[in-house]
Amino acid sequence: MKRLLGILLTIFIIVIFLKGCIRADIPELEFSKHITPSIKNFVYPDENKNVVLNGVDYIKSQAPVGKFGGEIVISTIGEGPKTFNPCNTKDATSSSMAGLLYEGLLATDSRTGKVIPQLAKSFQIQGNDYTINLRRGIKWSDGKPITADDVVYTYNEIVFKGLGNPSTMDAMMIDGKLPKLEKIDDYTVKFSTSKPFAPFLRQLSYPIVPKHYFKTYSDKGASVFNAFLSPNTNPKKIISNGPFLLKEYVAAQRVVFVKNPNYYKINLNNEKLPYIDKLVYLIVGDTNNEILKFEAKEIDVIGLKGNNVARYKEKETESDYIIYNLGSDTGTLFIAINLNNRKNQGGKPYVSPVKQKWFRDKEFRKAIDYAIDRKSMIQNVAYGVAEPLFTSESNNSVYLNKNIKGHEANTKKAKEILSSAGFEFKNNKLYDKQGNLVEFDLYTNAGNLEREALGVMIKQDLEELGMKVNFKPVEFNSLVNKLTNTYDWDMVIMGLTGSPLEPHDGKNVWTSNGTLHMFNMGVKPEERFEWEKELDNLFDEGALKLTFEERKPIYDRYQEIIYEENPIIYLYSPVRISAIRKKIKNVYPSALGGLLYNLDEVYIDK
Amino acid sequence: MESIRYISKRILQVIPLLIIVSMISFFIIRLSPIDPLAELRLNPSISEETLQKEIQRLNLDKPIIVQYLSWGKSFLKGDLGYTSAGEKVSVKLKERIPNTLLLTVIVIFLTWSVGIPLGIFAAIKKETAFDRLLTILSSIGMAIPSFFFAILLLIFAVKTGWFPVGGLTSYNYNEMSFWGKIVDLAKHLVLPVTVLFAISLSGLQRQMRANMLEVLDSDYIKFARAKGLSEFKVIFKHALRNAINPMITLLGFEFAGLLSGAALTEYVFQYPGLGRLILEAVMKSDINLVMASLMMGTIMLVLGNLIADILLMLTDPRTKGKSDKSGGAV
Repeated sequence: MKRLLGILLTIFIIVIFLKGCIRADIPELEFSKHITPSIKNFVYPDENKNVVLNGVDYIKSQAPVGKFGGEIVISTIGEGPKTFNPCNTKDATSSSMAGLLYEGLLATDSRTGKVIPQLAKSFQIQGNDYTINLRRGIKWSDGKPITADDVVYTYNEIVFKGLGNPSTMDAMMIDGKLPKLEKIDDYTVKFSTSKPFAPFLRQLSYPIVPKHYFKTYSDKGASVFNAFLSPNTNPKKIISNGPFLLKEYVAAQRVVFVKNPNYYKINLNNEKLPYIDKLVYLIVGDTNNEILKFEAKEIDVIGLKGNNVARYKEKETESDYIIYNLGSDTGTLFIAINLNNRKNQGGKPYVSPVKQKWFRDKEFRKAIDYAIDRKSMIQNVAYGVAEPLFTSESNNSVYLNKNIKGHEANTKKAKEILSSAGFEFKNNKLYDKQGNLVEFDLYTNAGNLEREALGVMIKQDLEELGMKVNFKPVEFNSLVNKLTNTYDWDMVIMGLTGSPLEPHDGKNVWTSNGTLHMFNMGVKPEERFEWEKELDNLFDEGALKLTFEERKPIYDRYQEIIYEENPIIYLYSPVRISAIRKKIKNVYPSALGGLLYNLDEVYIDK
Repeated sequence: MESIRYISKRILQVIPLLIIVSMISFFIIRLSPIDPLAELRLNPSISEETLQKEIQRLNLDKPIIVQYLSWGKSFLKGDLGYTSAGEKVSVKLKERIPNTLLLTVIVIFLTWSVGIPLGIFAAIKKETAFDRLLTILSSIGMAIPSFFFAILLLIFAVKTGWFPVGGLTSYNYNEMSFWGKIVDLAKHLVLPVTVLFAISLSGLQRQMRANMLEVLDSDYIKFARAKGLSEFKVIFKHALRNAINPMITLLGFEFAGLLSGAALTEYVFQYPGLGRLILEAVMKSDINLVMASLMMGTIMLVLGNLIADILLMLTDPRTKGKSDKSGGAV
């Protein structure tokens, strides 16, 4: 009896202890709009100006004058940088770090999306000629002047030869021809393209590298050049031109940058920027560790995901951080439908002819679009931190067609569309004209919890229409193989990242000969749908027009087509929420650049 | 002479072992469905030519057997090749090995210097309150998964702010004074060492206790006691020397775990060691890196066993000359 009492008492005590660990439920966010402050309240004073002081062409920052000194600690998830060679970066971490070290001729204004001069002082476009004037008197970190020779070297001997990462060369290729570059004088260069090509201008953001430092390595060919400036390079030897210089790299722990005293940006008092002395990137393995580091105040900025947003929001008032809603991400989530009606080499159709009839029917796809409940997906899968998406451009794209308003989920309407298209409901099941039960497979990549959850919800939504959906998460590589090789799939839940500035980047998906034209892969020109032909023409036309005003209607039409035809049904795009310590001033969050794109202007004030 | 022949024989035995291990692991990694280029294939801005170049660079266009042979050839020459990101494998390993050694050597030193005396003590004081308490504690230590314990300690670090959350050095480490550096390192090491120490201590202590009890129960100990030897002499001169032998074999395994034993804990604490590097490499199917670490693990295991056998030969005259029977735990 006594023993039993003892055991009961012990259990009771343990329960009391555990009770302390259980936390009250996290409040639910209905939509990301509830997260203030909206970034529109933070308006940057004015456009930055060029000024000449003692014969040097500086950029004058228009941000309020701050205090010099201090350091900012941020984090990067993963294994850290793989190279500091700005010409050879293939992952986001390496390229953002190389971007601190090396700047290009032009850049994108993170606030307005406009192309602005950076190392260039100004640029003029006349027909197919792009004349670039360089800043006079600015220097590399070793004190040597930056001149037209460095620019000519960077493009002619690195970019146009495809050394390092060749994606800029690919993007500059117009009908198989590269632009020509000539040096006019020490501070002027001229690019000439073979015909008008709108995406060209933004490619001039390619980092300019010092000829006197890089040439010995680039002359030795690709393998030497690719290994050049690996993370273990002695930081003192690196000659660069960005706002920061590399101080140290410690594998799997951190990368430390210090300010570049030769940088060409000044504040309103004509003092040289950046304000902060030191910028530290901690290399953390995963998001959980990053959250812990933020809570332990080891890092100053964090991107928040999912349920953490509500938790941080709740604690914000008594904390030392502010949460910003940076608006939609460039990532998109969608269902693609296989419209392929061709046969494989064995004479077997990729998609069974019965299914082909449904999938190639515009009304069938439209019914699916109406049946899908994006709102409840956002609430249940994305914890409210997302915005619904109805067409191919992400919500933060400058080319977004704002006339496409989208629609609410409407199962009744979806059923009407199906009935008028000849489908029949019997015992809550859907049959086509020939009496075939509508049944198909829905794939996604296994292990991606978000997409798996979406699959379950889509299956439920479509089963309301009487469709039988076999939801099959498969391994990522076999999914890629299905999409790009064997084409034996019905529907798939996928995501891609786009560019908020350049819709032409989507040409591999939307033009009929694109390598990612997944919904109708390998279609021959004569077999194209009418709307596919129109898309092909629109993409050709859009690249030839140079001004935003001329291009906008073209890309508006392309989004309309996708919204009407639904070969790919878009679901939502995640919203970026970030928290940053209040001590960091001069933060002007922007949808395009995020929180800390202006590291040369921010300062610390406690 | 006998022992030299024995050692060289053991070393020769390693060669076929290495070949078999390398073949099995190479083929398993390459036949697994992880495609190192899947991400690139789905990137809208990557052209077909770039993709083909990458395939050639990583040798993925050749049959597996050719890939294996070319790997084996350069391995024999001492060239570990490049990671899929284009860095030298040997450089990557060199960055991490000292960190992992720092952690594991401290842990092994602590566990052995605490675990062995504790085990002996528990055996002598068998069935007392002290022994019972140790039994309970070591059961907890053996039952709790290392990653879970590590996470608990991390939460503790965040809540109290007494310890840094993971890593090995603070970001301003290089500007610290010599003593500052030592303190900084120690602060970072406390939590991972605690986890690994608590977990391996329990096992070692139990093992030592069991060995000791077995020996204490044997006839010659009874005889020694009957002869009237002091208890101190009975235990330390007669019992301990016999009880310690199995522990030496265990020490060989500990040696093998020097470089690979702490992977999970390293990962949770974001410790910049080998474990984290290799875990990330496996997930990306970064073949050269994974192969190098597997080969290293195999060699360390064989070497550890060899060292244990040699030590046994020194401590236990019975094993001399016929060690191939008792050793060979590979």
